[in-house]
Amino acid sequence: MLAPTPIAAIRSAGNLSLGFARAGEVTRLTAGYQSGCLRARLPRVDPGERVELVVINTGGGLTGGDVIDQTVRWGQGAVATVTTQAAEKVYRAIDAPALVRTTIAVGPGADAEWLPQETILFDGARLDRTLAVDVVGGARFLAVETLLFGRTARGEAMARGALVDRWRIRRDGRLIHADSLCLEGCPQAMLALPAVGGGAAAAATILLVAPDAAAGLSPLRAVLADAASRSAASSWNGLLVARFVAPDGETLRRALLPALACLRGASRLPRVWSC
Amino acid sequence: MRMATTITTMTDAALDGPDAPADAQRTLLDLLTWTSPGWPIGAFAFSGGLEWACEAGYLPDADHALEWIETLLAHGPGWNDAVLFVHAHRAAAARDDAAMAAVAELAQACATSAERRLETTAQGAAFRRIARSTFGAHALAPLDAVGDAELGYPVVFACLSARRGVPIELALSAFVHGAVANLVSAAQRLVPLGQTEAQRILHALRPGLARLVARAFALPDGDPLDQIGGATLVADLGTMAHETQYTRLFRT
Repeated sequence: MLAPTPIAAIRSAGNLSLGFARAGEVTRLTAGYQSGCLRARLPRVDPGERVELVVINTGGGLTGGDVIDQTVRWGQGAVATVTTQAAEKVYRAIDAPALVRTTIAVGPGADAEWLPQETILFDGARLDRTLAVDVVGGARFLAVETLLFGRTARGEAMARGALVDRWRIRRDGRLIHADSLCLEGCPQAMLALPAVGGGAAAAATILLVAPDAAAGLSPLRAVLADAASRSAASSWNGLLVARFVAPDGETLRRALLPALACLRGASRLPRVWSC
Repeated sequence: MRMATTITTMTDAALDGPDAPADAQRTLLDLLTWTSPGWPIGAFAFSGGLEWACEAGYLPDADHALEWIETLLAHGPGWNDAVLFVHAHRAAAARDDAAMAAVAELAQACATSAERRLETTAQGAAFRRIARSTFGAHALAPLDAVGDAELGYPVVFACLSARRGVPIELALSAFVHGAVANLVSAAQRLVPLGQTEAQRILHALRPGLARLVARAFALPDGDPLDQIGGATLVADLGTMAHETQYTRLFRT
């Protein structure tokens, strides 16, 4: 007779590999695959609006040992935004971290946006995440990542757990941006250090790679001057980066929305962002 | 005259490769020279974001300045610089051009704001210029393909150290000490602090410096890209905010 499987051994895995291709004026989803806990949906958008792909984790969150591997490619001239259906919850891990690997390839003349909703790290969560992006020179790539350390809406702090969040951006094969956020031991105590978080429990980064990225700096700074959270922006080498720290997720979102609107012109945010 | 000839001979021998003889006195003098304010890399113009931290009210006194700099060493860009240093020193010593090219590329990619990039490349390029005039045009041959605008300061310091036969722990200790002393000197002007108080802080930073060097020295070979990391979100953001600060004595 089979022994019952211990709860801790039930892991979930999700794989997603999708591509966008441009045909005439229209961007379409090309063949790909999805398996495990990951699904992608393409909500109907009005003619002339950006194609919007929504990634869904049917597992309802991540826990230790879960493995997510997702790849999205934008072909020549493709214009599309990828987001997530809801905030990603990372639950307390017993030992191994949840692994998330996101691979993005942006082809010539493409306009790619990676705009997932918040990642909420529960007390005791362990997350090892990598965002690896290859952009062809001349293309546009906009990304945002938002992290909440503990369920800030409930006043929960992240007293234990660990986070490694790597950004690896290459343009024409050359590494142009490498940034790894590492929190371990007692993240709450680290975040209390003035140079780390000054007591913040939420942080976000916006990154734009584009030939005219520098032109976005002045308007973005004007928006950030009124921002609800501590924030700043800088531009160098065809990159524009803005950083935010805030006491909670609500305050952070209030600062992020106008900043994203500033960098996205007339495009409205994905519908799921306002659900 | 005879003295000058001797020095030239020693230099040429040292630049022949990592196995060239390096005695303790020559190593000491090299490191004292490269971290002296008289070695004109312009370090005094950079505050590593401390000018913003002061303006934002984070550094009201000596204890807060000490905690801030300690955090930069333990959880901030101090660690990334140490990772770059160790890998650049090993690549130069092993004459591994591919590894050196990779670490040089990483050095410019992990400067996460315009001013961080300026701080590392301005000092890196100045260091190379002086090293070439002092030790010869080929003093930094492994980095000849890297342009001034992309040359990271820890990479060029480590490369010269390896080629002069300076052991990695000593070279890294001197490099980190030089960087920390520069931060303390900036704090002295900004907070402000008395000279004795500044020396007390510098002394109190020694355990953190020793931990950083030991950790970096113990790094396994492998991709430095997987070894970088930090958590100084506010300090990183501050180097961006400094760009628009109204009153600025420092370039960063």
